Amino acid sequence: MSTTTAAEDAPSARRSEGEDLTLRERIAANPRPALTWGAVFALLVALEFGALASGLIVLTRTAVVGITAVIQVALEALRAPFEALGLEPVVGIVNDVLGVWETSQGRFPVTSEAGDISRDTVGKIAESKRHDAPKTFSLLWVQYQLSDFLFGLQHFTESVPTLLNREVIPNQGFKTGPAGPWKNTFLGLEPAAAWAVRATLVYVYAFLTMFWVFKAYNVYREHYRVADWTPRDDVVDRLRGHRWGQFGFVVVFMFVTMAVFAPTLGPTTAEANIESTYQNEVQYFDSESGQVEEVFVGQANAGAKSKGQGDQNVGPLSYDDYGRYHPFGTDVNGQDLFTFMVAGSRISLFVGLIAIGLSAFVAATLSLLSAYYKGLVDLATVIAADSVIALPQFLILIMVSVAFQGHWLSRVYSGGMLIALVFGLSGWPFLWRAVRGPSFQVAEEEWIDAAKSFGQRVPVTMRKHMLPYILGYLLVYGSMSLGGIIIATSALSFLGNGLGINPPTPEWGRAIAAGRNYVSTQSWHIATIPGVMIVLVVTAFNALGDGIRDAIDPESEGAEGGGAAAGGGG
Amino acid sequence: MSRWSYVLKRLVLAVPVLVFALTVTFMILYLGPLDPVTAVFGQEYNPSDALQLRKDLGLVRADGSPVPLWEQYIDFMVRLFTFNFGQSWVVASEVSVSTLIWNKVLPTVWLGFWSVIVALVVGLPLGFYAGLNPNTGGDYLASFGGIVWRAMPNFWLAVILAGAISQGGFLEGYRTWIIETQVIGTPRGTLETLLMDVELLGIAMPMVDPTNFFAAVKWILPAALVLGSSSMGNEMRIGRTAVLETINSNYVETARAKGVSSWKIVSKHVFRNAMVPLLPVIMGEFYLLIGGSVLVELIFNINGLGRLFISAAFGADVTVLGALLFIFVTMTLVFNIIQDILYTMIDPRVGYESE
Repeated sequence: MSTTTAAEDAPSARRSEGEDLTLRERIAANPRPALTWGAVFALLVALEFGALASGLIVLTRTAVVGITAVIQVALEALRAPFEALGLEPVVGIVNDVLGVWETSQGRFPVTSEAGDISRDTVGKIAESKRHDAPKTFSLLWVQYQLSDFLFGLQHFTESVPTLLNREVIPNQGFKTGPAGPWKNTFLGLEPAAAWAVRATLVYVYAFLTMFWVFKAYNVYREHYRVADWTPRDDVVDRLRGHRWGQFGFVVVFMFVTMAVFAPTLGPTTAEANIESTYQNEVQYFDSESGQVEEVFVGQANAGAKSKGQGDQNVGPLSYDDYGRYHPFGTDVNGQDLFTFMVAGSRISLFVGLIAIGLSAFVAATLSLLSAYYKGLVDLATVIAADSVIALPQFLILIMVSVAFQGHWLSRVYSGGMLIALVFGLSGWPFLWRAVRGPSFQVAEEEWIDAAKSFGQRVPVTMRKHMLPYILGYLLVYGSMSLGGIIIATSALSFLGNGLGINPPTPEWGRAIAAGRNYVSTQSWHIATIPGVMIVLVVTAFNALGDGIRDAIDPESEGAEGGGAAAGGGG
Repeated sequence: MSRWSYVLKRLVLAVPVLVFALTVTFMILYLGPLDPVTAVFGQEYNPSDALQLRKDLGLVRADGSPVPLWEQYIDFMVRLFTFNFGQSWVVASEVSVSTLIWNKVLPTVWLGFWSVIVALVVGLPLGFYAGLNPNTGGDYLASFGGIVWRAMPNFWLAVILAGAISQGGFLEGYRTWIIETQVIGTPRGTLETLLMDVELLGIAMPMVDPTNFFAAVKWILPAALVLGSSSMGNEMRIGRTAVLETINSNYVETARAKGVSSWKIVSKHVFRNAMVPLLPVIMGEFYLLIGGSVLVELIFNINGLGRLFISAAFGADVTVLGALLFIFVTMTLVFNIIQDILYTMIDPRVGYESE
């Protein structure tokens, strides 16, 4: 199809030196489609620039703190044997590099303070007065400086006005009389409607943006690509006909949107409703005194608990006595369950992505090394992988969480970092198993021999000629393992007792734990809704994995198409 | 490489795997920031008590000097490999770990056994049915059910099921159905009276007491259903595709052309070949059981190994944790080797194709 349009658009350029032009030159020769696309995209980004930029900065900050934390753990592990041998000078050098100092309360490599993503580090140190700032140019100093710089940037971007904002479409208001109109809500609508408008708009915006990003591929394919056909076209076409995979994609996308827009989506924010309830107030119409009263959120929550018996219940899609709307009802502490869920989706996604990223990195490195060198390297990898698989993952997770209780690492991202690290380091054999076969296959290809005889450096050969071949498989099995990580993280938080994500940071499993004694009462929603959400998200990640696998490797369609039946042949 | 040398190779490889896995366990327990002294005595402890405990744990020598880490490591490994597990410190003070584990093994085995049975009895027939009737309404229903069932977190399913049965929910009738039983708690009384002595021709013979047997099964069934849920979904899924694949193969077509009865085709050709990809899934159930039993035993309040692990972990009971990990890892490896042996028997190609 695209052949004709492309040929009509730029016949002369194509026929002469079309193939040698860079993408930039091709766009310069025919700028119109690119400009149209770019203008719309710029508009979409501008509408939500503040939110998108702050989200991006939070991600960068996560990465900075995460990477430096991993280096710290590695250095600390290296220090241990020198300490045992009593080699003070070496220990001192390592401590200098780390930026560690001793106090009466013990040692402080306080990544946890940079890891608290809602605060700046220096301010926290000044407040706690537990220790001085770290030594200049040490690892910790670098971490603090970068983290605080990004925190400042985040504050600035958050002050940039956006279209889909709590202030632009507010839903928290109060009645002015017994039946009177609502005040302070969007267009005077009742809070349920105002919240629904905002939530719907967020999703409309998200889907529009996603559609436009996909559109970029079509624009490129029709107007700027030199080749009429590439194998990737077939992959995309197969994905287009795969209903089951599309279902997975849409649900995963909605989950990610939920995580990205968490502060905007909830009827209130996690900060005001869950974390600091006595620093925020709520106004409501008191029918007894007949006037508008003001109480702390904490007091209002105490009067809106869902505990099963009597009138102690605020179910889904209902208002509490303080005129606050609860789409998913309230939990046992009277906190808004929907706000809890959207805030919890953030940490689930964080943990899942970091863990999968780490596993995929280890799995890809080891499988490429063993496929390239074979022999002893391969045998060592097999033994290492078998050993890690033989250790029951969930039990190791519990053991490590217990062992690191009180350690600074268990406070980074409310404990999410530790969970992600354990998953990353214990989950790679499952991915490795999936990519080992393809790695060995590609290592047999002639182009690897050619690269070898050509004298190309081994890492370059692996990255350029082997990695692209196994990347798709990593994506498939990564998507499928992500569901397992989400389940295990919430299971750990369900166990509580210092395991999992530390309260008050919301995590879905903790809601299930709180509601477990109310399953057959009128407060059934507390445990049921989070569980259904987990099932939905995990199913979606599996479906997405199925879809990508069938798209990149149609041979396997019959082999393991559990859900492919519902998709039908595209 | 012949088939049996393949199994032998797997057997030899299991040794370094076990050593490596136990080394990781040692590193978490002994190199990590875990402190057994504060776990036993709390934050404020008597220094002489602490010293005595450290001596008993093998962390310091009799003269108070610390034992080097490598010596602790060798000691740890030797103790495990000689099945000398030592004694518990926190969970049950000064009780030997072997006794502790032995006392808790029965409920866990009972739970695990029935979860495997439930998963097999429900999952396999559904999968085979779906595979034999592809793209029908029944197939879609079974496939979709299997996918969703598999995605359900064990702990959530357990919470919902326990709530629905024991807190006056919509499944409350289950408790009084045929025999009155509990669902929450250890079926200890019924498990121990499972066998009754029957006088047969003047000799006392142990016999299964049918009433108690039924009661014990009924008690454990909801927990087993939860624990087997993900395996059930897996078996269904893999069973369906395996049947689909074999039924479209050439040898089945040939058999059909020869006029072999369809029952014989299904039983002799389809099912046997479908078992090949199913075997790792069925054996892999064991792996899922270990992790899952912790949560299921906690929610259904069953006093088994899973709960022992949790209380040992919360109490930082290093000896119990080490022994449990050793048992779990060894069992996993044993099951892997059994799987390899079964594999070589079912599928003659194993061992040759890896060349």
